Amino acid sequence: MTIDAMTLTLFLPLFGAMAAFVLPRAATGIGLVTVLATCGAVWLLALEVLKAGAVITPLGGWEAPLGIALRADGLSLAMLAMTSGVGLLVSLGALNALRDLRQRQYFWPLWLLLLTGMNGVYLGTDIFNLYVMIEVIALAAVGLTVLSGTKEALRAGLEYMYASILGALLFLMGVGFVYLHLGRLDFAGLLEAEPSGALSAALALMLVGLLLKTALFPLHFWLPAAHANATAPASALLSGLVVKAALYIFLRLTTYMPLPDEILVTLIGALGAGAVLWGGVQALRAERLKLLVAWSTVVQIGLIFIAFARAGQVGLTESWKAAALLILAHGVAKAAMFLAAGRIKDELGHDIIRDLDKSNIRPTLAQFTFALAAISIIGLPPSLGFIGKWTLMEGAMAAGYWHWVVVTMIGTLLSVAYFSRVFAGFLRFDRVRAPVGEHQGWALADVAPLTLAIASISLGLMAAPILSFLELGYALGVMP
Amino acid sequence: MTDPFLILDLLLAGAVIALAIATLTARDLFAAIVLFIVLGLLSALAWVRLSAPDVALAEAAIGTGVTGALLLKTLHHLRYVAGTLGEQAAHGVTPVTPVPMSVIWANAAFCGLITLGLAIAFLDAPLGGPGFDALVADAMPASGVDHGVTAVLLNFRSYDTLMEVVVLLAAVIAVWQIERGLSEAPAPDLSVIWQGFARLTLPAIVVVGTYLLWKGSEAPGGAFQGGAVLAAVGILLLLSRLYVPHPSHRALARWGFVLGTGVFAGVALLVTGGGRVTFEYPPEHAKTLILLIEGLVTVSIAVTLAALFHGREPVALRAKEAGHDA
Repeated sequence: MTIDAMTLTLFLPLFGAMAAFVLPRAATGIGLVTVLATCGAVWLLALEVLKAGAVITPLGGWEAPLGIALRADGLSLAMLAMTSGVGLLVSLGALNALRDLRQRQYFWPLWLLLLTGMNGVYLGTDIFNLYVMIEVIALAAVGLTVLSGTKEALRAGLEYMYASILGALLFLMGVGFVYLHLGRLDFAGLLEAEPSGALSAALALMLVGLLLKTALFPLHFWLPAAHANATAPASALLSGLVVKAALYIFLRLTTYMPLPDEILVTLIGALGAGAVLWGGVQALRAERLKLLVAWSTVVQIGLIFIAFARAGQVGLTESWKAAALLILAHGVAKAAMFLAAGRIKDELGHDIIRDLDKSNIRPTLAQFTFALAAISIIGLPPSLGFIGKWTLMEGAMAAGYWHWVVVTMIGTLLSVAYFSRVFAGFLRFDRVRAPVGEHQGWALADVAPLTLAIASISLGLMAAPILSFLELGYALGVMP
Repeated sequence: MTDPFLILDLLLAGAVIALAIATLTARDLFAAIVLFIVLGLLSALAWVRLSAPDVALAEAAIGTGVTGALLLKTLHHLRYVAGTLGEQAAHGVTPVTPVPMSVIWANAAFCGLITLGLAIAFLDAPLGGPGFDALVADAMPASGVDHGVTAVLLNFRSYDTLMEVVVLLAAVIAVWQIERGLSEAPAPDLSVIWQGFARLTLPAIVVVGTYLLWKGSEAPGGAFQGGAVLAAVGILLLLSRLYVPHPSHRALARWGFVLGTGVFAGVALLVTGGGRVTFEYPPEHAKTLILLIEGLVTVSIAVTLAALFHGREPVALRAKEAGHDA
């Protein structure tokens, strides 16, 4: 039995999930070991990709298009690394955040199945297989959404499931039509296809399904409630990682089957602009901290699509890198932010923004973590978020598309405004006369979110190697 | 000369569309579900006419049989909860508010756009376009089985099938983790006749399900269809109260859920080595391995679907939880 690194990346979390499910008492230990081992497998795979560029395994020994091949290149690896790295720290954060025995038992199998699904998406090269993977992700993600067991979470989870299944169904219909036209389902087949109106319509069905799953305005309606009402580690996973899977498929598909018209690229950018403005206003109005963070996810998703559209159709060969940087930046920072918000809520007993400064308990380190993560999400230097936004605007300016720069600027100002509401609550201005309680301001549970927040800042200093890593193995464009 | 089947096909197509409209417009939920079940059965016939017997079996067993049972069970539960006013207040079941017109129009616009996309993609499609047929025919001798669909599902593209079984596993885990403080809606009162009916039909269903699974290697059938038919055994047992889930059965049930996925994935890994990659079954053992996988996956599918029908983890309800929202 000799197993390659790509198979390990997929099968380790799968077996971990099964083990954690049948042995619920040992679920926590099994879960942590599995996530750590998956990080190791991704590391091994990264070494192979650094050496060889793109790595391909035809599963079952059957070559595509009959069989299904797994393929790893710089972009897939960056996504895998983000998923397992953020996943490991969120797992550590979950140790403290999940108090209820039932939650602790069920969190691990669901999260590990989610990891299996996401790793499968990042290694997939076959659109039907991608459909199956997003179904795995959808069910595990809905399970995580309702893990907190509150009525609001159940309601939001049901709405999320409807949206998610509708999105997957649209994607599947598109896949069916692509097969009808091309007789194959692999990426290479898409790349060779003659563009036609019918094929574009099939692509459009798939893309709309993906937009629904990734919650681009105006198809974001399910996201805020679902992400705000989940338990903190689940929110971190859903907001930081899960929405990125559909985004990644979007990036791949639009490269192999280019959008047929400049207007469509602009339309996608315009929807992104809508998300930035609408999400920004809603975040300004949100009354609860977690809801504000969830709306900020809607904004960031919009921003990623603006990055995608920043230089029009011609610029797509470069624009995906700006989008990928923003995806990575948001994944790390948002996970940190949701974990920190969860810590603040745990300590204060509530997360009402207006009353943040009225408590005599002061979770200083969690608040500091939140602020660090906000720096990356707002896009202040030297964070990874800054590099992402800078790349976005640089490309837009070079192409002369100043409107995208203006929207990005407005979005940045809005994000400063809505995060300032939270910061103002962190600074006490002595509204509480009572002495600060015995709370020392930090706890061991703050370590995981703090590490993530520091990573979201310091990864900005490594932007150049990350960018060159993304290009390994001709991530997009040339296949295979 | 008109093909005698043409009339049948036209009738079938008309009936499917009419039933779809009737299902959507039915006011009474029970009527809608029954119409949906009939729609499923006729769609299964349509699949037969489209020369896709495997899909027809799946549609009849899963899309119609199990889904219909799930829908009826849900309706029963909803009526039970909504039917008792005290419970309704306790669980915060609010009456449905009318949907604003703006939302209806937005939905209509969205659906219109989707329909337009479907129409464009469909009208321009080639009739009988290229497909995997030639590739499958070439690779059949090395697949270990004699039925093309089974070869695709369990050999050429077994990775997809494994992950579909994982979807089912994820579904049952997601359902089990939803804690419900309230006790189960009481099962409808089944008379002695039904219990006798269950006793008579159970052996027949077991035989049919096993036959479907066994035939899968050479003719239409296989794990999903066989599993769904066998799940009917579980559903009948649950309905007739011949089997009552008990908290102490949970460990066994968990093993039952993961059995199929575990063996499938385990075999995929164990065959590697000596130049073979994951899922690459040695041709001389392919048939045995595929039958082993299918058999155990069938067991898991049957257990999982029956558990989904039951709809909850069998936890011990403490007295104080029995009447409250957890």
